[in-house]
Amino acid sequence: MNAPNEIFLEIFNNLRASHRSLFSCLLVNRRWCINIVPILWSEPRYYDRRLIRTCLLSLNAEEQALFIPFKIMLPNEPKPLFEYTSYITSINYYLNDGIKNWLKYEGCKVPEDAVKYSLIAMFLRTSKKLKYLTTFNYDDIAELLIDVLYKNTAIITLNLNGNQLDKAKALAEALSWF
Amino acid sequence: MDNGTSNSASENETITLKSCDGIEFHIDARIANRYTLLNNWNGGESACIPNVNGKVLEKVLEWCEHHINDPQLNCGDDDSRRRNTIIEEWDENFLSCDQDMLFEIILAANYLEIKPLLDLGCKTVANMMKSKSPEEIRSAFNIDNDYTPEEEEQFRKENEWAEDY
Repeated sequence: MNAPNEIFLEIFNNLRASHRSLFSCLLVNRRWCINIVPILWSEPRYYDRRLIRTCLLSLNAEEQALFIPFKIMLPNEPKPLFEYTSYITSINYYLNDGIKNWLKYEGCKVPEDAVKYSLIAMFLRTSKKLKYLTTFNYDDIAELLIDVLYKNTAIITLNLNGNQLDKAKALAEALSWF
Repeated sequence: MDNGTSNSASENETITLKSCDGIEFHIDARIANRYTLLNNWNGGESACIPNVNGKVLEKVLEWCEHHINDPQLNCGDDDSRRRNTIIEEWDENFLSCDQDMLFEIILAANYLEIKPLLDLGCKTVANMMKSKSPEEIRSAFNIDNDYTPEEEEQFRKENEWAEDY
C-alpha cells in the first residue's frame, strides 16, 4: 500500500461514522495512526468515561491545581502520545455524562462542575479547531470563555444553558468580536 | 442527449490516448471532454499519458465509458459525495480485481483527476477495513507493525473509548 497521504485521508474519511473501524486502523502502524488521530478526535464520544480519562491526562499543572481542594485522584499515567484535544472541533452536552460516568467508575464524590471547569479550560487552551461549544451551567466558565473569545479563536457557535443574562450578553459580544 | 454537461463532441468522434508504455486507446471524445486532464491531453493526434500504464489505463477508460452518461456532480459538493456509501453492482464487480490493481486505479484516478472513480476506489478500500481487527487489516493489506509493544498498548488505552461504536 504505497499511496500518498492524501489518498489515505480520502480512504479514512469514509470511516468517519465508524469509530470502531478508525480505532482498528489507528493501531495498524504509526503512519496510519498519524492520519487517523485528527479524524477520530474531531468529534469524540464524550459520554465514554475512557475518553474523559485520556482528556484528564492532558491537563497542565494549572488546570490540575483546580482539583486539589477536592482530592480527586487523577489517572497516574504518562502524558498522552498525541495532543489529541488539539483536533476537537465540537464539544457537546454529553461531556457532562462522560464526567459523571468517570466519577462514578472512579468512586469520586466531588462536584462534576469542578472536573468540567478544568476540562473546558484545557479544551479552550488546546483545541485550536474548536468551532461548536454546547454546555450546561455556563456561569462558571463564562470568564474563561470571554477571555478566549477575545483572542483568536475558531469558535463560531456557542450553545449555552444558564440563567445569567449579563454574562450571556458579554459572551455574545465577545463572540461577534471578529 | 446532453446531461447538463458541456460536451460538444458527438457520439462517434474518437480521440487517441497513449499510455506511458506506449499502448494506444481510441476513446469516445465525450470521455475526454468530461475530465479536464484527459481533455488537456487530447490536443494532439495521439496524446501520451505519463505515469499510467496500459493495463491500468484500460481499466480506467472502461470505467469512464460505462459512466459516460452519468450526471456530473457538483465539484464543491464534497459532503454529498461522502455520505453516499452505496456502491452500484457494476462498480463493485469492476473493482473486485486484485489489490495491486485496485490501488493502481485509485492512484491513476487521483492523477487524472477523475474524482468519482477516486471516491469509489477509496470507498471500496474503506469497506475492506470495516469490522476488522488491527491484525486482520495488517494481513489483508500486507502491512508491517512498526509500533513497540509499549507504544501500541498506550495508543490502545488512550483511544479505547472509540472501540465500541
